[in-house]
Order: sequence, then C-alpha cells, then structure tokens
Amino acid sequence: MKIGIVGKGGVGKTTTSALLCQVYARRGQRVLAVDTDSNPNLALSLGLSPDEADRVPVLPRSLVVGTGNGAITPADLLRDYGVPTPSEVTLLNAMAITQAGAG
Amino acid sequence: MRSLLGAAIEEEADVTLVDMEAGLEHLSRSGGTLAYADVLLMIMEPSRKSILTAGRTIALAHELGIPLVYGVGNKARMPEDGAFFESVAAEYNVPLAGIIPHDADVIQADRSGENMTAEQGLPVRQAIDAIVAFVDKAIAGENPGQAEREALLKERERVDKRLAELSVE
Repeated sequence: MKIGIVGKGGVGKTTTSALLCQVYARRGQRVLAVDTDSNPNLALSLGLSPDEADRVPVLPRSLVVGTGNGAITPADLLRDYGVPTPSEVTLLNAMAITQAGAG
Repeated sequence: MRSLLGAAIEEEADVTLVDMEAGLEHLSRSGGTLAYADVLLMIMEPSRKSILTAGRTIALAHELGIPLVYGVGNKARMPEDGAFFESVAAEYNVPLAGIIPHDADVIQADRSGENMTAEQGLPVRQAIDAIVAFVDKAIAGENPGQAEREALLKERERVDKRLAELSVE
C-alpha cells in the first residue's frame, strides 16, 4: 500500500507522517518512509539525530524516476539508500524530484 | 514501465508513505513517488490559507488515478475547527479520514526538537490510530475479499507445512 501525504507548509505533514509510519511499523509491517523535503525533518521525526539525518543519502533522480535498466535491483536500492531509524521505519530521501519531466 | 523506486516500494515494503514537500509538482506521473499511490491524505489546519490549493491538489490526484483521496484536519482546538474541516471536506467532495486535536506535547516537541515519548501526545496518537483504521477499511472496500484471501493463503501455508511435518513423522 502506498500513501501520499500532501498539504501546505506548516500544517503538520511531517509529524503526522512519522506518527502514521510508527503505527504501521508497530503492527509488524515493513514500512518505507519517503521524504521529498529538502530539510531532513522526517528523519528527525523518525528518531534520527541531526548528524544522522544529514548523512541520509539522497536518491539520485535517475533512481527516483528511472527503471535502473536492470543494473540495480529494488533490494539493492534499499540497501544502498534506505536508512533504518529507531522507529523501525526505513527512510529514503528522494528530495530531488522537483523537475517533473515528460511523462 | 514502473520506476525502480516504484518497484522497490512494491517488493520491499508493505506500507510506503511519501511525505510530500509543499507544492504540487510531485503529483505528476513522471514524478515517480506519488504515481500509483493508493491513498492520498490531504492535511489541513483550521485556516482558509491551508486549503488554498486543495481544489488543484484533488484534481491532480484524480488525474493521477489515485483512487482514495481524503482530508485530515490537524491542530483542532475547538468544535468550530471540526465544523470547519467538515465543511471544507464537503466543499471539495472528499471524505474526512479524521481530525487530529491540537496538542501541547506536539508543540513542545517541535520547540525542543526532541521527539515525543510514547507516553506523550496520547490524544494525537489516538486520532492517528483512528485514521489508520479508516484507511484499512477504505482499502478493504477498494479490494473486497483481499483480506479474506490473504487470511486463507496464510492458512493454506500453515496447513501445507503441518501436512509436510506429519508425512515426515
């Protein structure tokens, strides 16, 4: 299941996102949180320290929208870019998707 | 063809939650992350400003083919805030998945930069639990029989395993 959280700045998207993720994780589900914000707020809300949050690798745009051409598997992607958090939620930083290209 | 990230999300996670930066450009099929989302939760606070782009957001979500679009009211302090969220939801024709109360613990956590402990923010956590239950139900309604099918498959797995054990003994 894939859930998108949208809303204007300041309405509480990030806090709500983190709390929702924690509920799913506590149920034993494998949860992936994808942050698209350039500030690492979701990382902090999921329990990473500011230093750890700064070190979360940013997914290259080619992996956000590209197919990888078989060179890298979905499992590789998570191993290389997914960051475990104290909330038992895996975090991905996909901030670089602002330029929507041709669909 | 599905993006690598899309495939990773499907194969490696039961639940993927995408926290969208303010702005609507992510609601594009080519953006990858929100394409093929099952549920979109539009978070609002009790202010007209917070819903300025709601109409456009909802239209894009429908264009993207996101089947379930819901509003969530946040930071509700008084009954009038709840009524505001209800009226906005009716105005845009999206059901409300839930209303999250204003909570001093959340404000305090924002101020200090420390996360809430499990004992803090209980009213907020209850509201979040209710939203998860709402989404569970909505997904089940979207895919009738899915929960039962999954339960039966699990049961079959257990029966097969047990039968194999018995034949060894």
